[in-house]
Amino acid sequence: MSKTIKHTLFYSHAPEIVWEYLTKAELIEQWLMKSDFLPVVGHEFKFHTRPLPQFNFDGNVYCKVLEVVPQKKLIYSWKGGPRPGDINMDSIVKWILIPKDNGTELQLEHSGLIEHAGIFQAMNEGWLKNIKKIDELINTALHGTTHP
Amino acid sequence: MAQPTLDAFQVIADPGRRQMLLLLSKNSLTINNLAENFDMSRPAVSKHIKILQTAGFISITDIGRERYCTLKPDGFNEVQDWISYFDKFWSGKLKKLEMLLNQKAKK
Repeated sequence: MSKTIKHTLFYSHAPEIVWEYLTKAELIEQWLMKSDFLPVVGHEFKFHTRPLPQFNFDGNVYCKVLEVVPQKKLIYSWKGGPRPGDINMDSIVKWILIPKDNGTELQLEHSGLIEHAGIFQAMNEGWLKNIKKIDELINTALHGTTHP
Repeated sequence: MAQPTLDAFQVIADPGRRQMLLLLSKNSLTINNLAENFDMSRPAVSKHIKILQTAGFISITDIGRERYCTLKPDGFNEVQDWISYFDKFWSGKLKKLEMLLNQKAKK
């Protein structure tokens, strides 16, 4: 199970154009969501998306700009929860722009979506193996070949 | 005693339950074996086991006189769904960005 979402896209536009779409509120609104974004470290802004009650998420995303390297890199926090003030999603969105001959490669990394992700990793790796072991134990018990 | 229904994220928010899952990721254990690893009362261990079972993280199988706890993927499928939701969210948004940029190029 991958705990970080990664997308890499190529756009046939120069980095400065792609950067504008990542950092100008009126352009962000056209493809992502309405927000009060400013490309200034420490600036706090909000997005609002569809609530997902099954995941304890009310649709409010609270963000803070963490890093700005014009036309190269943008990082902001991405937090949310079941109600205002109750945060259970504490994640990071990172954008990287790489200039290419005839356009821009845009990389998105969304990490930290689940706390304690390591435990899911361990469980994912362990459960199948253990299911097999328990089947063997049951078979042994059923067929009466008990070990002293 | 009634157990509250916890979602997958609340289930793993407790360090004791995380530790139990970690032990169970290495091997299926009897309830007794599992309890030996914890410095908590037997009723407290039973309560955590019940929560893990209700949330679909483990199943309990009776073999002979022993009750074995084994990991079950149902509990963590919910977490996979949460990741998938945002994965699709971003791929949709990034396609929209591409469309916008292409329109801009035509102008």
